[in-house]
Amino acid sequence: MDDFMAGLVADLKPVRRRRPAVEAVVVAALFAAELALWLLTDNARENLVQVAMTTPTFWWKLASAGVLTVIGCAAALSSLNPAGSPRRGLVAFGVGCIVFLIIGAGLDWSLGLTNLAARLPLSAGLDCLSYLVPLSLPPLVALGFLMRRGAATDLPGTALACGLAAAGWGAFVFVFTCPHDDPLFVAIWYPVAVGITALLARLVLPLVSRW
Amino acid sequence: MAESEWSGLMAAAQAGNGGAYRRLLEEVRVWLCRYYGRRLPPSMIDDAAQDTLIAIHQKRHTYDSSRPFVAWLAAIARYKWIDRLREMKRHSTEALPEDIHVEGHETTVITATILETLLGQLKPAQSTAIRLVKIHGLSVEEAATRTGQSVSLVKVNIHRGLAKLAGLVEKEDPAHG
Repeated sequence: MDDFMAGLVADLKPVRRRRPAVEAVVVAALFAAELALWLLTDNARENLVQVAMTTPTFWWKLASAGVLTVIGCAAALSSLNPAGSPRRGLVAFGVGCIVFLIIGAGLDWSLGLTNLAARLPLSAGLDCLSYLVPLSLPPLVALGFLMRRGAATDLPGTALACGLAAAGWGAFVFVFTCPHDDPLFVAIWYPVAVGITALLARLVLPLVSRW
Repeated sequence: MAESEWSGLMAAAQAGNGGAYRRLLEEVRVWLCRYYGRRLPPSMIDDAAQDTLIAIHQKRHTYDSSRPFVAWLAAIARYKWIDRLREMKRHSTEALPEDIHVEGHETTVITATILETLLGQLKPAQSTAIRLVKIHGLSVEEAATRTGQSVSLVKVNIHRGLAKLAGLVEKEDPAHG
């Protein structure tokens, strides 16, 4: 044991202490860079300003994705300290989802649940997934890198929080492209995309972040 | 040693002070041996403590000196404890030698109490299989004969029981660790 301790002491080098606030700023900057790049490469919806931004659905989508991203990031970053836990943040994320779905349901009661086949076309839904999931990957890589550098003690929970935060941001970016203004479409297909990203994170991140 | 003193030593170690680091590791090793002495069989204590010291070394940048050091340390120790429980699930059991050295009864009694409390929360078939194979050192075949379960059922019960044990420990409030 003495040789072992001597080995650890001999290996000691000064370290830069982890600063969650700095990590939050770096994450925010990377997320903003993705959004800027996405919009600068002409991916915004054509009638974004004239039509989309005048509908309550657009602002509902944007606010939901933004707030859920913040909750997810807070849960993930606070759990990178061994004594931290993502559980409260995950519960808050779940509550946030329910609240935003209720608000979404309140946006357009006029159609109710009628004409579902026309309102939830599979091809459009898959098209939505083909944007949302890839857009979530850059933020997921960034959060995964921080998770690997940190010391999460609840690896599945932290991985899930990273996945939800990344999916939230992917959704936020996609809102500027998404041509669908029907809250029912959003309430069905966006959560599917979030679920896929969260599942991916839950399966992969614990494997690369064990310590 | 006072909490604030440990915190100060770790802050100095983060800045590269080897003397402070050595002193801290020695203190922490004693704390860890006591911690694992209440939670693991005696043969696993040294390995668990060593594993945790390596983890502390690798993750020392995550300690924030404005926060309690013991809470940080206990969280890492608990994480490694859960790792050990999972490891018990993965590895095959070896029979304990007859002349195994037992240092004292107090620690053993406390370990047994904690283990009994946890085992009491499993299904009887699972806790019996774990007791016979993982604690008393019987082979899976002997445990099968003793309990009337098939060999594969004993294995399944051990596997599921240890998974549940790890889950129970994870759910437990770390502050009580």
